[in-house]
Amino acid sequence: MYRAAQLFWRLMMRPLAREPVRTGLTVVAVALGVAVVLAMDLAGTAATGSFRSSLEALSSNYNLEVTATGGIPEEMVGDIATLPFNLRISPRMEDFAVVSETKKTFALIGLDLIGEADALKEGKSAPRELNTGENAWVDFAKEDSIWAGSSLGWKAGQQVSLIIGDHEQIFTVRGIYEDQNQPAIVMDIAAAQRATGRVGKVDRILVHAPETEDARFWITRISATLRPGVEVRAAGTGTEENRKMLAAFRWNLKLLSYIALIVGAFLIYNTISVSVVRRRGEIGIACALGASRASILIAFTGEAAAIGLVGAAIGVPLGRVMASGAVKLMGATVDALYVSSRPGPIELGITSVFTALIVGIGVAVVAAYAPAWEAAQVPPVEAMARGRREFLARVHKSRDLAASLVLAAMAWTASKAPPVAGKPLFGYFATLLAIAAGTLAIPAVVSAVLRMSGGLLKKLGVASLLASRSLLGSLRRTSVLVGALATAIAMMTAVGIMVGSFRETVIQWMEGEVPADFYLRPAGSHSVDRHPTISPLLADNIAALPGVEAVDRLRAYEVSYDGVPTIVAAADLRGARKRGRSDFFSGRSSEEVLAELRSGDTVVVSEPFTYKHNVKRGDTITLRLGTSLTSFRIADVYYDYGSERGFVLMDRNTMKKYLPDDAPSNLAVYVKNGADAAQVRGEIERTASEYRILIFSNADLRREAVKIFDRTFAITYALEAVAVLVAVMGVAGALLALVIDRKRELGLLRFLGATSEQIRRMILAEAGLLGLLANAAGVALGFALSLILVFVINKQSFGWTIRFHWPVAILSGAISLIFVATVLAGFYPARVAVRLNPIEVVHEE
Amino acid sequence: MKSRAICAGLLLAIFPTLDGPYRVALPGYHYEFPKDYFDHPEFQTEWWYTTGNVKTVDGRAFGFELTFFRQGVNRDEAKKSPWDMMDLYLAHLALSDLDGGHFYHSERLNRAGPGIAGVSGHDGKVWNGNWSASWKDGGQQLVAQNEDFRFQFTLKSEKTPVVHGENGVSQKAEGTGRASHYFSQTRLATRGTIELKGKQYAVSGLSWMDHEFFTHQLDAEQAGWDWFSIQLEDKTELMLFEIRRKDGTIDPYSAGTYVDASGKSNHLRSQDFSLQRHSAEWTSPITGTSYPIQWNVTVPKFGIFLDARTKLPQQELAGGTKLAPTYWEGAMEYSGKRGSAPLHGSGYLEMTGYDHPIGLK
Repeated sequence: MYRAAQLFWRLMMRPLAREPVRTGLTVVAVALGVAVVLAMDLAGTAATGSFRSSLEALSSNYNLEVTATGGIPEEMVGDIATLPFNLRISPRMEDFAVVSETKKTFALIGLDLIGEADALKEGKSAPRELNTGENAWVDFAKEDSIWAGSSLGWKAGQQVSLIIGDHEQIFTVRGIYEDQNQPAIVMDIAAAQRATGRVGKVDRILVHAPETEDARFWITRISATLRPGVEVRAAGTGTEENRKMLAAFRWNLKLLSYIALIVGAFLIYNTISVSVVRRRGEIGIACALGASRASILIAFTGEAAAIGLVGAAIGVPLGRVMASGAVKLMGATVDALYVSSRPGPIELGITSVFTALIVGIGVAVVAAYAPAWEAAQVPPVEAMARGRREFLARVHKSRDLAASLVLAAMAWTASKAPPVAGKPLFGYFATLLAIAAGTLAIPAVVSAVLRMSGGLLKKLGVASLLASRSLLGSLRRTSVLVGALATAIAMMTAVGIMVGSFRETVIQWMEGEVPADFYLRPAGSHSVDRHPTISPLLADNIAALPGVEAVDRLRAYEVSYDGVPTIVAAADLRGARKRGRSDFFSGRSSEEVLAELRSGDTVVVSEPFTYKHNVKRGDTITLRLGTSLTSFRIADVYYDYGSERGFVLMDRNTMKKYLPDDAPSNLAVYVKNGADAAQVRGEIERTASEYRILIFSNADLRREAVKIFDRTFAITYALEAVAVLVAVMGVAGALLALVIDRKRELGLLRFLGATSEQIRRMILAEAGLLGLLANAAGVALGFALSLILVFVINKQSFGWTIRFHWPVAILSGAISLIFVATVLAGFYPARVAVRLNPIEVVHEE
Repeated sequence: MKSRAICAGLLLAIFPTLDGPYRVALPGYHYEFPKDYFDHPEFQTEWWYTTGNVKTVDGRAFGFELTFFRQGVNRDEAKKSPWDMMDLYLAHLALSDLDGGHFYHSERLNRAGPGIAGVSGHDGKVWNGNWSASWKDGGQQLVAQNEDFRFQFTLKSEKTPVVHGENGVSQKAEGTGRASHYFSQTRLATRGTIELKGKQYAVSGLSWMDHEFFTHQLDAEQAGWDWFSIQLEDKTELMLFEIRRKDGTIDPYSAGTYVDASGKSNHLRSQDFSLQRHSAEWTSPITGTSYPIQWNVTVPKFGIFLDARTKLPQQELAGGTKLAPTYWEGAMEYSGKRGSAPLHGSGYLEMTGYDHPIGLK
């Protein structure tokens, strides 16, 4: 055993040390691949895995929750409190407060501090510190009393100014409680109702029911006593639903992160191939001396495993560092598209480390298997034969091309398949097939292109021609290199096209969707799942301003439809009728659809909603609104890119029948024809001076939307960049291998009179040719992949119809950059080639 | 009378008394039933207090207590939300498994809220969560439950309500208004079911209900009291309380009421009766407080000599929250004689201020 190890070390590992740059590049490539996969995993867990709504603060020890869209009429608290069951209840007001000074947002929770005194004291469900202090009971009744979680870092007695919804109020911190890093601001429920402007309602009732019966039993028993629109469900269902939604998002990101690793695999394949080629002689000797084929196979896979291990070992700490950056980007995406959340800490567990090591080594071994197997097949006589310096890879161009066509056909078929459990599994499969098809087609393409361009290259000089011939001579290696780089470029192109198309689609969509001159929303915490409201009086006052033609009020509610977080909203459709231009699936005019909406219990739903719930125009959906459970007919489906959540929109008068709440979440203000917009804005600001309102002009809103969009896709760009970096490093390493491999040839060229400048030009030309080939193949493959991404994966994961658009500027910029990088990557090998001592290299043989 | 005053005392300390909005108990109060069964928000403190001794057909005995307190904390007219704390509602529930040797109790504190707790003459109901006393069809229903047990009783009064004290007030200390309006239903025939640890018991027996309302009745030197309800087999009843002062003497405002078989009541002054403790004490393992659990009760005016004992010494309600006091309230058995005739009965005893003197702080 020891001797075998010694032999392995001498024959396999030492040669690696003799080429530190090339070995180093391969190791770094693996390290980057592993790092990206690990970083995405860690960041994903931190940003979404431990997702818990901040509103869940102080909610432990309750197993059920009662909810209703727009709040539960508070009489129901009494109804539930007097049921003949041993229930413990916690009626809550739940909102968010923005600290005026720091602009940070925290959960604001109103609790029945009297009714829960027992629980508070025993620390069962809430902090016991809430009721310490002689004055605690007196403070409960004061309107300005708040209790702060310890992680907020506030002090008892401190005054804090908070923005809640559209107003600002000064509160006094009466006490601090240990919040276990789940910060929240606690108020008594009476004060919280007033502060949030929701007198007469409670947002949620948490219930603890005896565990002697299962949740189903209690849900049935308690539901039976309540109105139909009021839902009883397991506590934390909302959090669970959000987690499920986030899991899908993480899944997509994770897959994206594996691209870097796949590119890394190409490079290992290449490294081991080179290694095999360069040591054919040694292999021959070893075989002649009695080494079995198995041991040759083991030796080369072992070499790959060693590279994988070192790469992974470097990749783990690197991944941990990358995760810190990734978690911020991911957090921004989650906030913008899914649900407001606070990323948890990044935890590098032993399992993550282990997985990373296994992934790194595994990918290396799998990638190395083919060349290693080939090495094992080499007959010793052939291997040791003199004169055959170059290993002519046996490339079966036509066989590969045929396989490629078959795979492409399979990819086509897979792309037509429906999603599996809401995930575009076949879409991803189609992507893999397409990449495989592309890779297999590359030898044929490369050889065809190089042959055909021979005449052209001749004109460019002998160096270019030699470069072309050299690449053609080692077709297999060239193909692998072009394949690796092309795959990275293809993914970059595909994602670039997808994001670019998406961005363009959103911008065009906003033209129609954002017709008003000004948009107003409360200064209080706002996000995709939070809908703070504006005082109805303010809306009326703005509507009455002389320069204002119309005001549209939009009211949004966060609901759970069929177990999926969804937004139900109602809007005045007057303004929209006058100026709006919405795109509906049916192709009907907005006027027609809106007229239908005003006519009764009808809604329009967003495109993502239809995919999530498998409904279409004309279907009926049942919504919980207030205390009623009502069926609505889907009048039409509209394109919506505002949120990944489904959206259900109805006329405000329809909503008011079930939820008579006049407070709007947003206002859209239309300025009268001929009125001065700046002046009207001034009037609005004066009218709203008592309120905390944000005013956006039409242009502001669009700019903000695009900003959010770009922030959302920042992480995608970052992942792409890493994949391309890995590929470019591969080119550098591979060119170096070519140079070292062709020492004798280069020496001969020098003897034949080639200048060092010509040698340099030849190597650089090879790099350039590789870059060109890879770019061309990459863009072509990328285009095919982008079709799958845009029309299959995106559609099935998110339900957005994206209009195809070439982001020409960004794409051509990126491709040129890659081309320059590949040429630059040729500089070091070129220098090595020039410095070779011709006498020595020729003499060596 | 009773322990509710302790709560009241504590609450008063916590919520500075707004003397303005509340009435004090003054002589000349005219009772009107059923109206006076319900709440009197113009007084700051009020309670409804039912205790009873019941048995199954085969003789298994239980005692129970269900008490509702209301404590006014604010009378600000501008506050309109049901969540605004105008009154606090405290409730105690206890079950004495006299033969099983177990005592179960729990307590509840709520504001009225949107129907969480309250008193409604309109609905004929006093409630706190799912514990309630309701008046209908000439009787009363008690319903309550906790993790250990639940019960449901129907109470029928055999006598008209008895007003304690003189001229409609029960004076508790020196000074105008240091008094309460206090009446009892001293003989309530009780039927119902108890479910304890999954077992159902059909029971019947006798209950006693006190209802008292006042503002600020005690004085600072009063340390605690012992209160007896005695339901005798000859259809007469006694209510006796003795206020202990911090200096160890018995307060002259201690008093009682004797109700004869026809329902006629006789006011008893402190000199009309005596309550003598025996040396037998029970010390609570939870609070460390010692309570005298055996007494001699004598009312010479009516020839009554009774020995008071309990089957279950551990009937202590150890206060779980700041607002709830620690006190002993338990089912009692009385035996002795009237003149030379043997006399037996049952009832309840309440002992307060043994852990530390009650006080107004």
